Amino acid sequence: MTKLLDRKKTQKLYVQLFELLRERIDTGEWAVGTQIPTEEDLCKEYEVSKATVRIAILDLVRQGYLTRQQGKGTFVCKRIIPEGLTMSTSFKESMLEAGVIFSTRILAQTVMMPTDDIDVKLNIAEDKHIIYIKRLRTVDSEPVLLQEAFIPHHICPQILSDDIASNSLFDLFEKKYERKITKIRDYIELTYPNKDEANLLNMKEGSPALSLDQHFYSGDTQIMYMRSIKRPERFRFYIEMERKV
Amino acid sequence: MSNSKVVKDLMLDVFEFPHIPYWFSIRQAMGIIKKSLLTKEKCFQPMAILVFDEKYNLVGTVTFKNILRGLEPRFLKTTTKAQGHVGDDSGLSLLWDTLFSKESKEMAEKPISEVMTPAKHFVSPEDPVTKAAYLMVHNDLALLPVLENNKKFVGLVRMIEVFDELSNTILEGRG
Repeated sequence: MTKLLDRKKTQKLYVQLFELLRERIDTGEWAVGTQIPTEEDLCKEYEVSKATVRIAILDLVRQGYLTRQQGKGTFVCKRIIPEGLTMSTSFKESMLEAGVIFSTRILAQTVMMPTDDIDVKLNIAEDKHIIYIKRLRTVDSEPVLLQEAFIPHHICPQILSDDIASNSLFDLFEKKYERKITKIRDYIELTYPNKDEANLLNMKEGSPALSLDQHFYSGDTQIMYMRSIKRPERFRFYIEMERKV
Repeated sequence: MSNSKVVKDLMLDVFEFPHIPYWFSIRQAMGIIKKSLLTKEKCFQPMAILVFDEKYNLVGTVTFKNILRGLEPRFLKTTTKAQGHVGDDSGLSLLWDTLFSKESKEMAEKPISEVMTPAKHFVSPEDPVTKAAYLMVHNDLALLPVLENNKKFVGLVRMIEVFDELSNTILEGRG
């Protein structure tokens, strides 16, 4: 039987609903890959408004429990979230061969509206324009990394005409536009590139690759969401943790 | 027309309109229309989406009509019509109804580039409004892109502003 929300509690309804829905995911009632009920159905089931359901679902999407697929519905994600480290962490990534030189092919540098759950990942309204950048990195003509970046257009419209083949977006934000990046949240997981991605990376469709999802913040504002697919044999990650005194 | 306005006086900002790349599907474009245009506060006529390539060049525009045409089941698409008698299409519309849920969902996965109106006609910011009116009338366009130096896409003119300006000229005897 569905647990209902306690309206006498001081805790906000959407927070209570978030907890109840998360419990259904954590307990496996909604297994990975399951399509969850529609917003309307959840409104009826929990006797709450559509706005309450929407906020709770968006929070679950933001925290990686759910993913929205436009026109299809909302699904439970595979999810491995570690406890946060109370240490200062430095994170580096290196190619396995030292001294390699990347070449960059720009596949797109254009403007679009957010689709699927990009608006949630960027924490912006769904009718805001975003700059979309897609780049393929190669080493000795061999593709090693496919990268897509999504930047709210109002944050930095000039990036549309910048040379992004020879400049990193990180450097453009920090050095050219003086927007200091104060926090990056990274999610690394195994992925299986789709047909187009596999073709670009010169891999067999269905073979595993590394997926790196990154959220870049300047202060409280998220200024970029970037997702990268990397050929696993060419990269390694390095994390150094130092306890804060 | 010496005192009349030129295109740049009527031009709208490109960001008044949603943008999509040409590889988006019809389904994705429909989602964007619903989110960006079909809300009470943003009901902006004509409801159109701008379609761009990888380098942010305008390649076309999409309206409701383009999308509905794109969803039409393949064998109902008409070829050149014979002159004279206009047939009764009510049977075909019923057939479309039957097929809609099945075939049109498949058609919605087609790229938007297959159904958009290609951007072939342009005006420059200094062009007279009459030129915009001429191009719109003769090419059945509700929107016309404005290019600076034949290259940089700087805005759009709509039929409504063009009509308003030309009607001022006629009604007030300006020019």
